[in-house]
Amino acid sequence: MSERKTIESTLSGATLTGKSPAGINYQATAVMPDVKVVKIGGQSVMDRGRAALFPILEEIIAARKLGIQVVVLVGGGTRARHIYSIASELELPVGVVATLGKYIPMQNARMVQMLLAKHGGIYMLPDDFEKLPLYLQLGCIPVMSGMPPFGYWEKREEGSRIPPHRTDAGVFLSAEFLGSRRAIFIKDEDGLYTDDPKRNPNAKHIPRITAAELTKLNLPDVVVERVVVEYMPRAQWCKELQIVNGTKPGQVLAALKGEDVGSIISA
Amino acid sequence: MTKLVGGDGRTHIESRLMQESLQRRDVLAQTDSEKDWRIFPELQLVSIGGQSIFDRGKAAIMPLVDEIAAFKKSDKDTRMLIGVGGGTRVRHTLSVALDLGLPVGGIAQLVGAMEELNAIVLNTLLAPHGSMPMQRDHFWDLPLYLDAGIIPIAISVPPYHFWEPPPMEGHLPMHGSDFGLFQLAEVLGMKSVIFVKDEDGLYNKDPKKHSDATFIPSTTLDALLADIPSELPIDEEVLHAWKTAKNLRRIQIINGLKPGQLTAALRGQNVGTVITK
Repeated sequence: MSERKTIESTLSGATLTGKSPAGINYQATAVMPDVKVVKIGGQSVMDRGRAALFPILEEIIAARKLGIQVVVLVGGGTRARHIYSIASELELPVGVVATLGKYIPMQNARMVQMLLAKHGGIYMLPDDFEKLPLYLQLGCIPVMSGMPPFGYWEKREEGSRIPPHRTDAGVFLSAEFLGSRRAIFIKDEDGLYTDDPKRNPNAKHIPRITAAELTKLNLPDVVVERVVVEYMPRAQWCKELQIVNGTKPGQVLAALKGEDVGSIISA
Repeated sequence: MTKLVGGDGRTHIESRLMQESLQRRDVLAQTDSEKDWRIFPELQLVSIGGQSIFDRGKAAIMPLVDEIAAFKKSDKDTRMLIGVGGGTRVRHTLSVALDLGLPVGGIAQLVGAMEELNAIVLNTLLAPHGSMPMQRDHFWDLPLYLDAGIIPIAISVPPYHFWEPPPMEGHLPMHGSDFGLFQLAEVLGMKSVIFVKDEDGLYNKDPKKHSDATFIPSTTLDALLADIPSELPIDEEVLHAWKTAKNLRRIQIINGLKPGQLTAALRGQNVGTVITK
């Protein structure tokens, strides 16, 4: 019978199930470690409109003028919740729900791009990701949807029809690929609380916590998508998530300068 | 009539998920149900191995092409979609990329090109019998292809690309072509996935390395997950993703080097290893 015609390499003959084979000394290369990946929340910022968004964009522009390289990713919000709710009623597969979930952050990213255009805002699709060095060297502020491109290939999570990888995951995974140490999330609360502060007035602010401690707390609600907390400990680069309050003047700029404001979740 | 709700500084559209945190488990549970809508329940997916079939060249590929062509002529009702693996060129890509220290998302972005070569080769050979490459997620063209007697050839590597999550261990992407094709079958609600390899099916260990390996003709997903064989012929991630999936009930692993096995599997016969859920 015919033989397998293989190319000699450290991996020929190995099954590819995720484990690195013996004989490989992996030394990680950071792609663009100085880039700050920052998320503008959908429900928390975009759905508040001008009052919340304009001051945040001013601080992002100020940071860019200081030479800080910023990539803006945008979330979905209430329109995403509306389509998720209808899709759930129809029992659509999670991969279809995730595909529907791509469109709203895309709209929001386009809105942000229009507002940032005169300051170098440029709209980017996932396929344009390799053009980031050009945009940043030109002094642009690249803007894209936070939704990772999994779409129909999104996996189902136990007990939920909502795609587990949404715009928080997209922000974290973008930072991780670029080799950036910290991903920044702009929301409408000071960061992490012991419960949803909008519903529970006794919820306590948590300025700093580790992913393991957070998982152990088993909170009914968390401020970022659970997959991000799960992935961070095994990440190569992105070891911190910073959640800041975009409705408080100065917080976004401070975070972009690398200051510890809001809440920090570390691996 | 849908109404807009304000009052907290944000504008909401009224829905069951309005104002909710999508991290709350009780909120998420409201979106769940026992079943998922099935889009193409009669369709079967055939995955042809890269290392096991394509890397063997003409001697292994042509008999399969002939078998698929003959099957297609004799059975106009059984509908299938084909995907392919990448094989040794993927392994070579990975070994170079690991040496360079590229991030897992960068590696994930690279590998799909090698599978695509096999897809082009297969389509070149099958086109005279009626086949067409399917663009990434152009599923809505499928009824048209199938009604016209065309076998679509799908892209097998999932579009995780630069956003591939950090792996459980090591530095290689967890979502390869086996997972991509599994997920395609799952989201479209297909009838079964048939993995065409160069062994009779599943063994308790790799039969190429161990002469005392025992063959497993049938098993269940739960049994496999309870005791995952150390050298699986398909990516382990398929088993984990299948666990939480709702649609797919049957995965079959067959020997593409044995004439007639693929035909039998497409007719629903229990050749090779049948895994059920």
